[in-house]
Amino acid sequence: MTPGTNNHELFENLRLELRRGSLVLAVLTALRKEQYGYTLRKTLGEGGMAIDEGTLYPLLRRLESQGLLVSEWREEEKRNKRFYRLSAEGKVILKQLLTEWQSINASLDGML
Amino acid sequence: MDLVDRYVKAVAKALPENQREDILSELSEDIRSEIEDRQRELGRALTEAEQEALLKQRGNPLVLAARYRQDHRSVAFGRQIIGPVLYPFYVRVLSFNLGLTFLVITIIFTALAVSGQKIGIGDIFSTSLLQLFIQLSVVTLIFSIVEKHLVKHPDRWNLNGRRGSFRLDLDIQRDVQRDILFRMECNTREVSRFESVSIIIASAVALAWMTEVQRYPFLILGPAAAFLKLAPIWYQVYFPIVLLTVAEIVRAIINLARPDWVRFRTLVRVIVQAAVLAVVYFLIKAGSWVTAAGSMTENAGNSTRTLEIINQWFLYGLVSTAIFSGAMLVLRITQLIRQPRGQSESPGVGTAAKEGN
Repeated sequence: MTPGTNNHELFENLRLELRRGSLVLAVLTALRKEQYGYTLRKTLGEGGMAIDEGTLYPLLRRLESQGLLVSEWREEEKRNKRFYRLSAEGKVILKQLLTEWQSINASLDGML
Repeated sequence: MDLVDRYVKAVAKALPENQREDILSELSEDIRSEIEDRQRELGRALTEAEQEALLKQRGNPLVLAARYRQDHRSVAFGRQIIGPVLYPFYVRVLSFNLGLTFLVITIIFTALAVSGQKIGIGDIFSTSLLQLFIQLSVVTLIFSIVEKHLVKHPDRWNLNGRRGSFRLDLDIQRDVQRDILFRMECNTREVSRFESVSIIIASAVALAWMTEVQRYPFLILGPAAAFLKLAPIWYQVYFPIVLLTVAEIVRAIINLARPDWVRFRTLVRVIVQAAVLAVVYFLIKAGSWVTAAGSMTENAGNSTRTLEIINQWFLYGLVSTAIFSGAMLVLRITQLIRQPRGQSESPGVGTAAKEGN
């Protein structure tokens, strides 16, 4: 394996790690407005936070089990869809996370 | 069953049961929404190839299912041998094999105990331990090979079994579909090479076992071989059984070279299945399958009872085999009738359709 390949792999791993942390924030932010899985995935993709369904749905389940999201099965366009939205607790946590993220951002900006 | 259903079904097999329905409804909805979206963009319905490409993007169904599971358990001896994707299947297969093996061991030893034979704890322990070791080694080895393939070629899977594909999920899915819905079999375009190799290996092992059983009846009777022996009928049907096994090996070798000879496979299977039924008929007609060895006369009453119990089990086994073989024969004949001649060809059926695939 060449040093170039090593660097590329290392970068990819670190990039994924960085994105993984930001994804929760992106999902919670997007779910301030109620959406079902597919439209949420599209919203995130259009916002530059593309996510595959194999990552999104397990994440939604985890966030729901943590009480940050609530979901509801409802019929729309003759098909049953599961709609997600932020819970009351989710709203509080999102606010705190956004403050934290802005603070990290400001710190980094200061260092850069 | 369309491609989406097949994909979702493949995912279902590796999902935790309590969440399965919920996850599948959501996944199915997501896929169908994406397909609709693409269709709206294109202004037409997606072709099967386009749908397949879309599903391919979503990745191997087993890997996808593994992401939903909270328990990322694996088997590791230093390095990981079986990862979280295959772990639930590994546990399922191992539990089933061990359960079945220990059930058989329990039946044998119970029959011996009921008939008043002396059984040492050591015998039970050593037999169980040997079986445990064999099952554990074989199942772990097979799964570690599959795991290696999965890690090396995560994108090698498909839902319709075309040539050259890694058939990890396909086999799981097709095994069920093939047995329950023979329609899938009729639609199969070729004989999987994995299937042919498996049959060659399994039949070769069976041949070796059959040869050894003649010299070591312990292999079929267990500890009871000390005072029981196989009835003469088994020696009479030995050659036909060997012949049928060899025929299946030859058929698998031919299909390995010519996977497109699907009809040939079905034809051979019809003949083999009919022959199996005939063999089972002669076996059932014999009425006795295990007889007393010389040393059994010491405790005549108990020994007779043991013989009765074991022969009764043989009868149940043979009747079940006859029913199963009869059903399989009907299924194979139906497949042979329904399989379009142009789809595949056999050396015995003609050669005109060889170019058909």
